[in-house]
Amino acid sequence: MAKSVTIIEDEPFIVEALTFLLEREGLRVSSFNDGEGSVAFIQKTRPDLVILDLMLPNISGMKILEDIRSNETLADLPVLMLTAKGQKKDRAAAETAGASLFMTKPFANSELVASVLNLLKS
Amino acid sequence: MARTHLGTRIRENRKSKNLSQKDLASLAGISASYLNLIEHNRRSIAGKTLIALAKGLGIDAQTLSEGMDTSLIDRVKRSGLKMRGFAIETDRSAEFAARFPGFARLIARLQDQVDQQEQQLTALADQMHHDPFFAEAMHLMLSNITTIRSTAEILANETDVPIDVARRFMDNLRDEANRLSTTVSDVLEHFEPSSETQSMTQGTLSFEALLEQNNHFLTDLEYKTTSADALIENTDGDSADRDKLRASINSYVDMAHRLPIDPFMEQAKQVGYDPLVLAQMLNTDISSICFRLAHMPTDADVPKFGLLQCDGSGAVLYRKQLSTFNLPRFGGACALWPVYRCMSQTGQPVSAFLDMPTGERFYTFSISYPVAPPQIGMPAQNESIMLFTANYELLANANFAALPQLAVGLQCTVCPRPNCTARRDAYLLGKS
Repeated sequence: MAKSVTIIEDEPFIVEALTFLLEREGLRVSSFNDGEGSVAFIQKTRPDLVILDLMLPNISGMKILEDIRSNETLADLPVLMLTAKGQKKDRAAAETAGASLFMTKPFANSELVASVLNLLKS
Repeated sequence: MARTHLGTRIRENRKSKNLSQKDLASLAGISASYLNLIEHNRRSIAGKTLIALAKGLGIDAQTLSEGMDTSLIDRVKRSGLKMRGFAIETDRSAEFAARFPGFARLIARLQDQVDQQEQQLTALADQMHHDPFFAEAMHLMLSNITTIRSTAEILANETDVPIDVARRFMDNLRDEANRLSTTVSDVLEHFEPSSETQSMTQGTLSFEALLEQNNHFLTDLEYKTTSADALIENTDGDSADRDKLRASINSYVDMAHRLPIDPFMEQAKQVGYDPLVLAQMLNTDISSICFRLAHMPTDADVPKFGLLQCDGSGAVLYRKQLSTFNLPRFGGACALWPVYRCMSQTGQPVSAFLDMPTGERFYTFSISYPVAPPQIGMPAQNESIMLFTANYELLANANFAALPQLAVGLQCTVCPRPNCTARRDAYLLGKS
């Protein structure tokens, strides 16, 4: 069965582009556009990997990451965080909070796809 | 130091008047060999000899003795030291200042201007860093650029994109490019100089910059290892700016004197940083306690407080922001903040949680208090203050669960909350 990815991102056009790219790699993709309710969505969809934007409405990506890591059933879930360039503090905080990988916006499609595939393999 | 400069100055003055040592010695009624020792700073002089030499040189004795401005030499020297990469003879700054006092004053003045501009730039950069509009606009622009880059890469690199998908991506590109240009226009408009920003004085900027640089705790003033005058000394600006800076520093000194930090920290911890209990315990006014709580040393087990003080019109009198809670300098903040609500009930403290659109939560304590004695026929003059912190787990408040939780924002232009009854400006960045 194809592996699945959940994208938590509030920018619909970014979601659309990422969905296109990942589906071409044979992955199943679902998405959620709000911080609030995202952990419940992840629990429901049970993906193999989450792509999580740091700046989300209502609940920040950092808080969602903390909730994922403190949830027994999701603690080992690979999480790829996306954020704006130059947010060194956020990057350090996300690494401490347990992000599997960190990518800055704007990213190259090939790098993002390669990172997702690598995380899914490991 | 002064003796060395005086001898050098006498020599330079003599040379500039084309007098030989013998001539000047004769005019002053001393021997040429004694003058030689004086000029080489091997003899100190004062009194009659100083007056005689000054007379011989045709200058005022006081100017001759005090004219060597050590702060001028220091500033010339500092200017040389700052210019790394040039072989500047900083060890000869005193000699330079004595030989070319006009040029020395020019260099010192230019250096002062550079220092002032550096300070101003730091303050402005800091202001920009804390500007909620700018931070939000940058985030949005990066999202726009990410969409454009990813979508364009798909269209350019993938050979078999279905035609309907390609069309949709083209539409996305157009929409995103439009959003990007709108955001850029908004940012440019936001940073257009306004009369408000122009009226902001250097004094206010300097004090805010000083506090920011020191994590809002001025150790030297707290423990009296420096004076307010020493802090002000190196600040440039006109007299109004300096007066404003002096007033701000003096009120800090007054707070540090009335509520010394070490005992205060102990007492505050004991009572869970409760402003009302502290005011009663220390027999002082609540606003002083709030200011003191907002200016404590940074420590992991000490809550970090921000502060906003307004007058009756809502104009900001003082602000200390937190990195996650930015305060606009000129009004325009969210009208739902309790700092405004408490104005209608002077003396009635208000505690509430503020929930930001980003998901962050802050505990707030606000109160309004009179600042002038009541007069018949005159409206009451009140100010209000709001203390806030995200570290509310360090506070003692048994009634946290009973406190109202207010869904608020920072200011309308960066607040995406839909259907807000307090909205007076549109959300500029168009996400809603």
